[in-house]
Amino acid sequence: MFKKILLATSGAPSTFGAARVAFDMGKRYGAEVLVLNVMGVPTKAYSQVVNDVRTGEEVEVDEEYRAWVEEELKNTFEKQIESVEYSRIILTTGLPHREILRAARENDADLIVMGASSGDSSVYRKGYPGSTLQRVAKAARCPVMTVHRETASYWGGFGNIVFATDFSKQAESAFKFALATARELDTDLTILHALDISGKVLDQNEIEDRIIAARERIRTAYDLDGFKNCDVEVWEGVPYVEIVKMARERSADLIVMAHHSHELDPEKARIGSTMEQVILRAGCPVVSVSKPDKV
Amino acid sequence: MYDFLTGPVLWATFLISFGGLIVRAVLYVRGLDWRLDRVAYRPNLKYGIRGGLRSIVAFLIPFKARLWQTRPGFTLIFFAFHIGLLVTPIFLEAHNVMLKQAFGFSLPAMPTGLADGLAWVCLVGGLFLALRRIAFPEVRIITNFYDYLLLVISVLPFATGLIARYELGAYDFWLCAHILSGEIWLICLPFTKLSHVILFFLSRMQLGMDYGIKRGGMKGTDMAW
Amino acid sequence: MPEGILCNKTPIKTEEQLKLTLADKGGKQYYEELNNLDVDSDKLWASIQATMKSRTKTWLEICAHCGLCAESCFLYQVNGRVPEQVPSYKIQSTLGVMVKKKGKVDNAFMQMCMETAWAKCTCCNRCGMYCPHGIDMGVMFSYLRGLLYSQGFVPWELKIGAGMHRVYRAQMDVTTEDWVETCEWMAEENEEEWPGLEIPIDKEDADIMYTCNAREPKHYPEDVAEAAILFHVAGENWTVPSEGWEQTSLSMFAGDWECCKDNVLNVYSAIERLRPKRAIGTECGHAHRATVIEGPYWAGREDGQPPVPYIHYVEWLAEALRTGKLKIDPAKRIKEPVTLQDSCNYVRNQGLKNVTREILSYIVEPGYFVEMSPSKEHNYCCGGGGGFNGIGMYRAQRNMALRKKMEQILATGCKLVIAPCHNCWDAIRDLEEEYKIGIRWSFLKPLVIGMLDVPEHLRPKDEGEDE
Ligand code: HEM
Ligand code: HEM
Ligand code: SF4
Ligand code: SF4
Ligand code: SF4
Repeated sequence: MFKKILLATSGAPSTFGAARVAFDMGKRYGAEVLVLNVMGVPTKAYSQVVNDVRTGEEVEVDEEYRAWVEEELKNTFEKQIESVEYSRIILTTGLPHREILRAARENDADLIVMGASSGDSSVYRKGYPGSTLQRVAKAARCPVMTVHRETASYWGGFGNIVFATDFSKQAESAFKFALATARELDTDLTILHALDISGKVLDQNEIEDRIIAARERIRTAYDLDGFKNCDVEVWEGVPYVEIVKMARERSADLIVMAHHSHELDPEKARIGSTMEQVILRAGCPVVSVSKPDKV
Repeated sequence: MYDFLTGPVLWATFLISFGGLIVRAVLYVRGLDWRLDRVAYRPNLKYGIRGGLRSIVAFLIPFKARLWQTRPGFTLIFFAFHIGLLVTPIFLEAHNVMLKQAFGFSLPAMPTGLADGLAWVCLVGGLFLALRRIAFPEVRIITNFYDYLLLVISVLPFATGLIARYELGAYDFWLCAHILSGEIWLICLPFTKLSHVILFFLSRMQLGMDYGIKRGGMKGTDMAW
Repeated sequence: MPEGILCNKTPIKTEEQLKLTLADKGGKQYYEELNNLDVDSDKLWASIQATMKSRTKTWLEICAHCGLCAESCFLYQVNGRVPEQVPSYKIQSTLGVMVKKKGKVDNAFMQMCMETAWAKCTCCNRCGMYCPHGIDMGVMFSYLRGLLYSQGFVPWELKIGAGMHRVYRAQMDVTTEDWVETCEWMAEENEEEWPGLEIPIDKEDADIMYTCNAREPKHYPEDVAEAAILFHVAGENWTVPSEGWEQTSLSMFAGDWECCKDNVLNVYSAIERLRPKRAIGTECGHAHRATVIEGPYWAGREDGQPPVPYIHYVEWLAEALRTGKLKIDPAKRIKEPVTLQDSCNYVRNQGLKNVTREILSYIVEPGYFVEMSPSKEHNYCCGGGGGFNGIGMYRAQRNMALRKKMEQILATGCKLVIAPCHNCWDAIRDLEEEYKIGIRWSFLKPLVIGMLDVPEHLRPKDEGEDE
């Protein structure tokens, strides 16, 4: 299922959860883990100066600095690197979202794993709207997994996967990914549609009707292809709240959802996106899928 | 002395002065290089001439160019000084009398009162220009002895002319001094920065052509000088 | 030690030398070597004699030393109006003296010239508008830079910048393969949202050939994608060349005229190869200046024009909006006070002052556009022009220079600044970083895309499936 996993990390503790999942997966699938570190964001026009992603300080990247960053990363992830067969450190400079996408494309990665704040420092965000996550999730060909917390960040020993659908085209790809993962890990799969009634006044009957319609739609839209451990739920409310609630109730180990490109007025999407809200609140990794290529 | 100064010396002076200015103009134009200046003068001559004339006109008319608007006080002094400098000698009765004697024709002469006035304006204007050089640090730093010398050369004929005219002191002496200073004035035109009498027009024309051809003129937008 | 290993009179011509120079962190060794660099007075004087013709000579000679140009220079204004910042003084004390001494000057003098040419002038040409004699000090400083460069007296970053242009024919190490790959990538990345989106490479006889700034493929390929989207929506028949796509010229900032010529010929040969009806460059000021305004002269084109009409992005955008190729949804127009940065390079230097305002008339709700004061060709430099933005050694001076733009922006009361020029954009970003006045800034492309009224047939099919 995965041959190459791209782990985007700043090396900071906030990305340890992501690292753990990436390496666990690498071990499980015999996949190569590519550890990508975007050392700095170019600044000052054509000068050689970059802003260090972590500290925001101005540094000049030269061989020495590179070697130092590489050493740091090796030390930080020493045990994990030893635990997998193949791994490689990639160092680069640029805008984090762009470099993550570039590396994923260059290496034909099957999955991108990142911390919710990978590379999101105030330094470079100036003038480049949208979070790194938003931009990666939107454009990546492969699924993008975000691990916000270090807890519950083991891959394997899974019990339940929640797949949240909004019936978009992207959700079809997300479904494929969710199903394949559930099969692979032999877990239960919950297909959830959160009926968005925020800001609407609907009477109870209408809600009931809609719920029934949605259930029907899930059954017809998603071909389980013989997979048994699956149940369908339609809850009404504010989508991200319902998704997080469901994940809690089922003690989900993974949430899979689609990413919408049309949500991308970056500044608005940043606050408004269901996906980001889920990532912030969920206690498990969240995978977002927007393209059909790699599922 | 008087005869000598108004005879051969005067002829020589005029020859050197006007001849020299013409040479400077010719050299200037010949020294233009479309590649080095990065202005395609010849193929776009029409645009160039248009731009050039606009540029000259903007700076010849008081308060037209933005520069003249930002510095009203200076603009007044500058134009007064220069008008006096140019108009007085040309339309002065005494000068035209001499012109008539030599060539049999003369330009319309202006009333003496006006001539006196203009001459005074020149002197006072020159004085202000000099004071300005002392007073303002941004002018002081670029001013050198040469600049004062030129100011002196420029106004000396006016000073001496006035003295002669008011007959303060020995008339003959002051008249000779006046004529001498006038001749120095004229001879200095081609050889010093006073060559801007002609080069002002050429230089402004050049920059105007630059704007008229390359920097917007051919795009249909006129420079707002 | 007359010639250093890194700092010498020879331009960087090989990748090896380029890497070597780059590896010298912050130019430490480079600047040490600079202290020992000899001046080749004979060569300097010979090149002055060969290239200083009547225009410049006259400028130097007839300057009335009147100081009227002082107030026109923003660097004079922001640096406490010290007389050392008077344009006339700056040029007379450098180029003027160099000429007077017939090139017999020493290392210390050349270093002073270097600092003056790169840290006290951005070649914005504003002073030339305010000198009664029409003396354009910006032009002379550019000339002085060429002389200094030929003697090896050039800031480290610009030595490298020109080297990049010599080695890669781009201001950064973006090769032809990188470029082509980036175009393909961007087309792929956006094809779902914009069905049918293409970035046609090397298409012959197209209506438009598009060129850009290497920083776009390198760090911000979204910009390439955005250009593609707008051409796509406008229904243009366009292409990008695989070779000759880079339009910028750090060599122009450096004064490396030989390299300028090489680079511009490279772009022109793409035009000759692909025969587009016209060429369009990205939202960059100096790139336009280099390829369209000065380029024809470097290339030796007698009519002073590029091989085909070559316009700035703002000209195309205005045209597309005017002709209705692009339609704006009035509901999405900018509804907050917004101001515009006029870039010296194509406003003062090519008069493109009205087209940008025409664009704003479409994308800004009437009444919200606030002019800077002064504006149009009288606008001040952003503070980072002429290479100033990128020179580490002159960072403090550059930051000071940003103050004028800061004052101007603050005076408009706007929080949004439209800056259709890479350099200005950078300078304004740094301005915010340095002085934190709480502004945002943007190129035109993303703004316009955000408010497009996209025709039905160009929208993705199954959008908005949910209830
Ligand atoms: C070079 C040959 C010149 C000759 C032969 C000459 C001759 C004369 C004469 C004969 C007078 C009359 C004095 C009187 O009223 O008794 C005069 C007055 C005057 N000249 Fe000249 N002049 C010459 C050049 C100049 C120049 C170059 C200037 C100015 C730039 C000049 C400015 C004046 C002035 C201001 C007066 C006094 C006018 C007045 O207030 O009425 N002259 N000149
Ligand atoms: C058509 C003729 C002339 C034009 C267009 C002209 C124009 C100018 C200009 C543009 C300046 C420079 C800036 C300034 O200081 O304001 C200037 C300065 C000056 N001009 Fe002229 N000029 C002309 C004739 C003359 C003549 C005939 C003289 C005297 C011989 C003269 C003497 C001066 C002097 C002394 C200055 C320096 C002023 C200072 O100290 O600030 N000009 N002129
Ligand atoms: S305004 Fe022109 S003439 Fe006056 S000092 Fe400046 S450059 Fe010289
Ligand atoms: S070109 Fe611009 S920066 Fe340079 S001296 Fe003139 S006004 Fe100042
Ligand atoms: S960066 Fe922009 S404003 Fe500044 S000099 Fe260049 S074009 Fe002018």
